[in-house]
Amino acid sequence: MAYPNELIRNFSIIAHIDHGKSTLADRMMELTDTVAERDMEEQLLDSMDIERERGITIKSSAVRMFYDHTDGKRYMFNLIDTPGHVDFNYEVSRALAACEGAVLVVDATQGIEAQTLANVYLAVDNGLEVVPVINKIDLPSAEPEFVAQEIEDVIGIEAKSAPKISAKNGTNVEQVLSAVVELIPPPAGDPDEPLTALVFDSIYDNYKGALSYVRVFGGTVKEGMRIRSMATGHEFEVTEVGVFTPALCAVDELTAGEVGYIAASIKSVAETKVGDTITSASHPAKKPLPGYKHVNPMVFCGIYPADGAHYDDLRDALEKLKLNDASLSYEQETSIALGYGFRCGFLGLLHMEIIQERLEREFDLDLVTTAPSVVYKVITTSGEERMIDNPTNLPPVTEIDWIEEPVVSATIMTPSEYVGSIMEICQERRGVFVDMNFIDKTRAGIHYILPLNEIIYDFFDQLKSRSRGYASFDYELKGYQKSELVKLDFLLNGECCDALSTIVHKDRAYTKGRAVAERLRDVIPRQQFEIPIQAAIGGKIIARETVKAVRKDVLAKCYGGDITRKKKLLEKQKEGKKRMRQIGTVSLPSEAFMSVLRIN
Amino acid sequence: MAGLYIHIPYCVKKCDYCDFVSFCENDSIGRYVSALIREIEMTAQETSSRQEFGTVFFGGGTPSLLSGEQMCRIMDALRENFSVPANAECSMECNPGTATAANLRDYRAAGINRLSIGLQSASDALLKRVGRIHTYVQFSDTLRYARDAGFENIGVDVMHGLPGQTQADYLSTLKTVCDTGVTHVSAYALTLAEGTPLDERVSSGETILPDEDDVADMQDAGIEYLESRGYLRYEISNFARPGFECLHNLNYWENGEYLGLGVAAHSAVRLRQWTRYSNVETLKEYFRLVERGRRPLQETIRLYPADEMFECVMLGLRLVRGVERAAFRERFGADMAQVYPEAMEKLRARGWVEETEERIALNKLGLDLQNEALDFFM
Repeated sequence: MAYPNELIRNFSIIAHIDHGKSTLADRMMELTDTVAERDMEEQLLDSMDIERERGITIKSSAVRMFYDHTDGKRYMFNLIDTPGHVDFNYEVSRALAACEGAVLVVDATQGIEAQTLANVYLAVDNGLEVVPVINKIDLPSAEPEFVAQEIEDVIGIEAKSAPKISAKNGTNVEQVLSAVVELIPPPAGDPDEPLTALVFDSIYDNYKGALSYVRVFGGTVKEGMRIRSMATGHEFEVTEVGVFTPALCAVDELTAGEVGYIAASIKSVAETKVGDTITSASHPAKKPLPGYKHVNPMVFCGIYPADGAHYDDLRDALEKLKLNDASLSYEQETSIALGYGFRCGFLGLLHMEIIQERLEREFDLDLVTTAPSVVYKVITTSGEERMIDNPTNLPPVTEIDWIEEPVVSATIMTPSEYVGSIMEICQERRGVFVDMNFIDKTRAGIHYILPLNEIIYDFFDQLKSRSRGYASFDYELKGYQKSELVKLDFLLNGECCDALSTIVHKDRAYTKGRAVAERLRDVIPRQQFEIPIQAAIGGKIIARETVKAVRKDVLAKCYGGDITRKKKLLEKQKEGKKRMRQIGTVSLPSEAFMSVLRIN
Repeated sequence: MAGLYIHIPYCVKKCDYCDFVSFCENDSIGRYVSALIREIEMTAQETSSRQEFGTVFFGGGTPSLLSGEQMCRIMDALRENFSVPANAECSMECNPGTATAANLRDYRAAGINRLSIGLQSASDALLKRVGRIHTYVQFSDTLRYARDAGFENIGVDVMHGLPGQTQADYLSTLKTVCDTGVTHVSAYALTLAEGTPLDERVSSGETILPDEDDVADMQDAGIEYLESRGYLRYEISNFARPGFECLHNLNYWENGEYLGLGVAAHSAVRLRQWTRYSNVETLKEYFRLVERGRRPLQETIRLYPADEMFECVMLGLRLVRGVERAAFRERFGADMAQVYPEAMEKLRARGWVEETEERIALNKLGLDLQNEALDFFM
């Protein structure tokens, strides 16, 4: 029996990192007795270790709650937790599309941040009702009235009567639940029309296969039904439908207006793509729900096993991660320096870091990673257009007519006193100033067009450190732009090391070449002969450093005849040598490959 | 002939660079001496024949924290339970600032006939920087007391590569040492051992060590200076007046048998196979086992001939005179050059080796890069 639509509320929570999204979700689950207090674990919806440690949400999740309102009725809440980071922008937009409203949590001590603003706009674009909530009123530096004014000025929604809460202490959280009932509209949709269900995320379950997280917009889905993916045309038989309590809990059916999951023996999450519309195979909908698009990776890097013998383990690990992350792409590549590995594509730098960390932690792999690269567009003299995601594949200069690089439109929000230093960072990184507006007397929003390859390294860290942590940053891909780019190569003892090659702007090549050469000099251990390190553009050497030959390499004093320990030291040394990469006659430690990256 | 090693794991304070097994719990020295004597008795009972030992070496820690009477009891126990000839080399390590004139007289009377004094540097500032508890004056007092007590065979330990040390500092220390006319000098480069206070200070950038090339220069200059003063290099880091090489250590480098007694002591013996074993590494465990009449053994490693052979190379190539081919042939029934043809070829190609009918030895170049040379044999 379908739950009456007018008693359903589907919403997400939008908040900047650390503004209290997960804590508020925890409190709401407590107040609605969704989770018994003894089972309460901090940040219940962030189930991955990395999510809890970094305080971020990577995967969407959802929870169904039942709330007894003061009007005497029992409402069904479906809270969809979304990732907050720009890398996962598309996932966020789909999760928002699954809701009728969004609770906007703003820290009463911090105000609105760029990331929040970007997500609020996404919500507004999707036609959501935004319910502002001002959090952390328990802190002495809280200025709830000021922040309410800021929300009105910046976003243009009424915020004076917004609940002022402390999610940490539970103060006024009840008011948020009321506001959800009163302000967010119930879902529309008819259980008897043809099925349309929006996939807003998918996860891989070892027992059930790939699970599609869906919001049903029209019709009904139940076990045994044959369904069709409108993006791929693939058909599956539904083996189970269920809801999130937040644990997976099977139910008889999901009807229009509801949120839940569909299991249909789908082998990989790649077959149940975010943004897809699921319909009935026998009575298909005429057209899919709007908004589906294929998301392309923006950042690429080479990932290699530190020990070549673990290539198969790395492949298996990537395969497993891919099961659960359709936006991760990888293909085999071979490097002269690093042997067999994979060229991996990511949605952004955070996505890349997360995958690397998961490979190392969950699969216990030791990796060598090359510096990340964006995808360049090369127009050859023969008029051909080539997309290049690995600097090594850049055609020779003589075959290149011009090169284009991806640029982004960036918004940076900062207290006004840091405007100067932030503009400096953007200028240094070839940014083109667009405009600046003052949000209030103390805060400014700055807009720049920036080359993507200038922000994938440490742009965000720089912003944070030069604004004492106050600036926030958001960007969206704007397109391609012609640019004077060159390939910077590094030669060790005369031999080019492909894994160190990088594409840089012509004006920056000299400085970068010199800095990387210096860095390599410091990380390459001394060997039995002198090693010249050269940075080159085309055939031209632009910088040179030297690693001097080792002069002494002997074990120290032998303690009380402990020969075994000495032998172990020698074995360790030998093992260390084995783990290094051979470029011609030169042994290179894995840190060397990152040195191209960690240069300012 | 086999050697006897006795470990005294006590220090007034551990030096900042030291990762040897030693504790600052000096209240228990008396208990330790009694336990050690028990270990000596138990060990002797288990080895049926009265084994003969050509050398005895007290290492630490700080053996000079023992009272004269304690040293006397241990030496008596060794002589009662094992065969230690009257002319055996009996050495002990001695740290300035711990040994009194009276103690040194008692050690001599107990049968100790060789001292190894840890000076490390003649600069008080450098000594302080690495957490040594003594000054140069305390060293020269110790040396005077030692000579007054009748010690003639005395070695001094020095270090190079200390934080802030210059080549001039180092050579001035060596000159001071040579001028005293001691018989033996051990000259080691400071090595950073993981987890030591110095290692932490260096990692945090609080302490800066001399540049690798400067340390290499110091070492080269030191070797040249010591040889010019008649201290001939006989091992990578050891120098002696002719005839005063440390016999106990020579036995290690020749991969001979030795018996180690005390906490964390190591032994190497020929049973059916070449066997190495070690004692437990904490005082608590040591007391617990020995006081219940059990030998404090921790780990036993039996080696295959191939491993034993590699050890002979690893240790023998530390000696300037190298590996004695006849001894190697006698031990393994094959010539070293024939066992390791590829490694030998690599050494020759690099010009690191000197070969005669009698010996295979690394030259100066090879000794500098001994680890790389050993890599070929592994």
